[in-house]
Amino acid sequence: MTTSSAPSVRRSVAMVWRSLRSMRTALILLLVLAAGAVIGSLLPQIPNSPERVGRYLADHGLWGPLFLRAGFFDVYGSWWFVLITTLLFVSLAACLLPRTRALLRGLRQRPVQAREVDGFRHFAEVTVDSGPEPAASAAERLLRRRWYRVAREGTSVAAEKGLFRETGSLLFHWAFFLLLVGVIVGKGTGFTGRAVVTEGETFVDARPNYAGQLRTGRYFGGGFTGVGLELVDFEDRYRRNGQPVDFVSRVRFLDPEGRPAGTEAIRVNHPAEVEGLRFFQEGFGWAPVVDATIDGEPLWSSPIEMTRDQAPPDVPATAMPWRGAIKLTAPEPDVMVTLELWPDYRAFATSQFTGRPVPMLVQFDPYIRYAVHVGELRDPSRASTDTTGLRRVGGGDLHAADTSTFDVPGLGSLELSFSELRQYSVFLVSRDVGIPLVLAAGILVLVGLIPALFVSRRKVWIRAEGLAGGTRLKVGGFALQRKDSFEEEFDRIVQGLGGADAAVRPHERVGTP
Amino acid sequence: MNWARISSVAFDLTIWLYLGAMVLSFAYLAVRAEALRVTALAVAIAGVAANLVSIVARGLAADRVPWGNMFEYSTVLAFLVVAGTIVLVEGAAKIKTLTGFALMFAVLTLAIAAMFFPVAPSPLQPALNSYWIKIHVVAAITGSSLFAIGGIATILFLVKDRSERRALASGGPPPAPIMGGAVELDAPHDLLSDPEDPGISTPEPKRGGVLPSAAALDRVAYRVIAFAFPIWTFAVIAGGIWAQEAWGRYWGWDPKETWSFVTWTIFAGYLHARSTAGWKGRRAAVIAVVGFVSLLITYYAVNLWIVGLHSYKLG
Ligand code: HEM
Repeated sequence: MTTSSAPSVRRSVAMVWRSLRSMRTALILLLVLAAGAVIGSLLPQIPNSPERVGRYLADHGLWGPLFLRAGFFDVYGSWWFVLITTLLFVSLAACLLPRTRALLRGLRQRPVQAREVDGFRHFAEVTVDSGPEPAASAAERLLRRRWYRVAREGTSVAAEKGLFRETGSLLFHWAFFLLLVGVIVGKGTGFTGRAVVTEGETFVDARPNYAGQLRTGRYFGGGFTGVGLELVDFEDRYRRNGQPVDFVSRVRFLDPEGRPAGTEAIRVNHPAEVEGLRFFQEGFGWAPVVDATIDGEPLWSSPIEMTRDQAPPDVPATAMPWRGAIKLTAPEPDVMVTLELWPDYRAFATSQFTGRPVPMLVQFDPYIRYAVHVGELRDPSRASTDTTGLRRVGGGDLHAADTSTFDVPGLGSLELSFSELRQYSVFLVSRDVGIPLVLAAGILVLVGLIPALFVSRRKVWIRAEGLAGGTRLKVGGFALQRKDSFEEEFDRIVQGLGGADAAVRPHERVGTP
Repeated sequence: MNWARISSVAFDLTIWLYLGAMVLSFAYLAVRAEALRVTALAVAIAGVAANLVSIVARGLAADRVPWGNMFEYSTVLAFLVVAGTIVLVEGAAKIKTLTGFALMFAVLTLAIAAMFFPVAPSPLQPALNSYWIKIHVVAAITGSSLFAIGGIATILFLVKDRSERRALASGGPPPAPIMGGAVELDAPHDLLSDPEDPGISTPEPKRGGVLPSAAALDRVAYRVIAFAFPIWTFAVIAGGIWAQEAWGRYWGWDPKETWSFVTWTIFAGYLHARSTAGWKGRRAAVIAVVGFVSLLITYYAVNLWIVGLHSYKLG
């Protein structure tokens, strides 16, 4: 940079700053922000539904890539959305700093006397019997009683009220900075994850246990608490028509050393909090406990968290069977047993014989159909039921408390025993230390907004001039907002000064300036 | 008769009464006979009463607060729009000519509810069974109804302002310069102008014409919207508190949240425009109308076409 360009840089920075200080800029930025949010609601968003974004891209060869480039599939994280927000906040600060300074000055200053009282929009004269001094004191008292700030100079009185309007407005606007801090600190240092826990089991807050379902903030320190949550019991209740009434997980918390740390009932709308972690009821499902042995050797013994098939249109979701898999990698080749669970055998039987789907809301003689596959497992994770690369060698079925055996060619006798059917619960786990700040900001926004919109600024001046045998009070005033309601107040002040029978000469200047 | 039946009969009655009151109100606009206006008002009040009966009976039938799905929101919205217009516009602001338009809005709201989201009274889903949702919904519907009244007044303002300009152009006195940003002579110059100043060109309200003066419409629109804005703000905050309890996050940009934010931002823009030189009058009014459209999208489109956690219209 050459020295000669420095002033011009400074000048353009000053120009940008000046334009950010104008209310018009803030107004336009607000409207552009709204337009950006509209785009975000009309197009699928990557953070919420990546698969829909993929489909959109496949369907719109022309627009898709263009929108992708413009960040339209992640509007709220896109550079331009962040830029507009930043500019809005800079603009906000640029507006607020001088206004705040002016307000502080105004709060310290006493109301200023007017040179001429009769030049104001509202003007009246009152004559009273007392002398100028007591008349001015009475006027001062009257205005104070009406919540005016009053300054007295000899027999002149200056009064104003309504600084709350500006105070409220500034509080309202500054509160957005608190909101910003709360959001950035909370989301930045926190995380959200998903915990899947079967009845009787314990989930421990540690990174690997979130099984890929973890979203950490940019400044997340990596600290997990080691707190445990044991699911004692899950209960789902329905009305006779199948409408859900209540979902509740009864849990026991354990401190990092495994000592009991209290019990809680977590339901929808009723999360539980422990050591800054919050657990929200998010979902649930069935988890049959199945033991698998081959030639008597135990290879698997644990609950299997099943997922439910997507229901076709017009079929209630609760009528669909559940799927899961047992994966045995000890034998050579690998064995995978896919399971299809019908929690209510009656529903299975009815749908087999009549084709009619029947909702399954409670367990009743739970029933499993299974298929055995051998080969090389591609995906050893517990959740996937993908059988590509495997060869199906047969199958069977079993009821709860049953055992079923199946001869796997070349491997031996596979024995499956279905000891019981439990439920599992899915919790959203989150840590967000910004929530109190965000809540406080919300409250301040509201507290500031109400006076900012409804208080009006008014000024009144009164001058007492001695007459023979009395005093003439000259009263002038105006309001910056709500002028019609000030008219009434002004009349009442004038009446208060002189009493009902005083000689009042009201006079209102009309017309636009 | 059980409560559900009473509610449904009262609902039908409400539509007919509102429709009758609307026709009478428009007849009043055409012929300006005071008797017509009083009759229209009486019929509209009967409609409000029937509307209230329908809401209360529905609550008794379902044994819960009667605002748990789109059908019920619409019933409450219609009630608040008509009652609000009668009390705030016809009563407090003494503008007698808006009522017919508010009734038209209410009739449309009820008809759409009856056609597109009829549901029998039933209990709430667990997700909706929260203390905060009740508060949130009450605030959201109240705010919506006031924004709707403000929106209607603003549309009429734009219509009237245009006709007043035309009248001026063809032979009236020359229009005063746009007042935007004008500060009263006696006011210190560092203060902002009054957002209530209409900032439009017509110097004096003219007698005659179907609608009240543009200045009066503009003022009532501003007041109603300024009243609605904090209520809507509160609704958004209460919604965030509820979302935090139910879903573990106070804000997630789901379509309903996004659109209530958009609506809020546009009306914040409107309030700013009212205090911005050069944006008063027609420009500010256009922003308010855009806000009104955004409100309707928040209310209808999101529930009907855009899926999200909030889409519980069948609930
Ligand atoms: C973050 C977005 C903003 C929101 C939601 C917002 C909202 C509001 C609201 C509701 C009012 C009250 C309107 C009234 O008193 O009639 C107001 C007033 C005001 N705002 Fe903002 N504002 C925002 C940003 C800004 C910015 C960036 C500036 C600076 C350029 C600004 C400057 C003002 C001023 C000067 C007033 C006073 C107007 C008056 O008292 O009449 N605002 N704002």
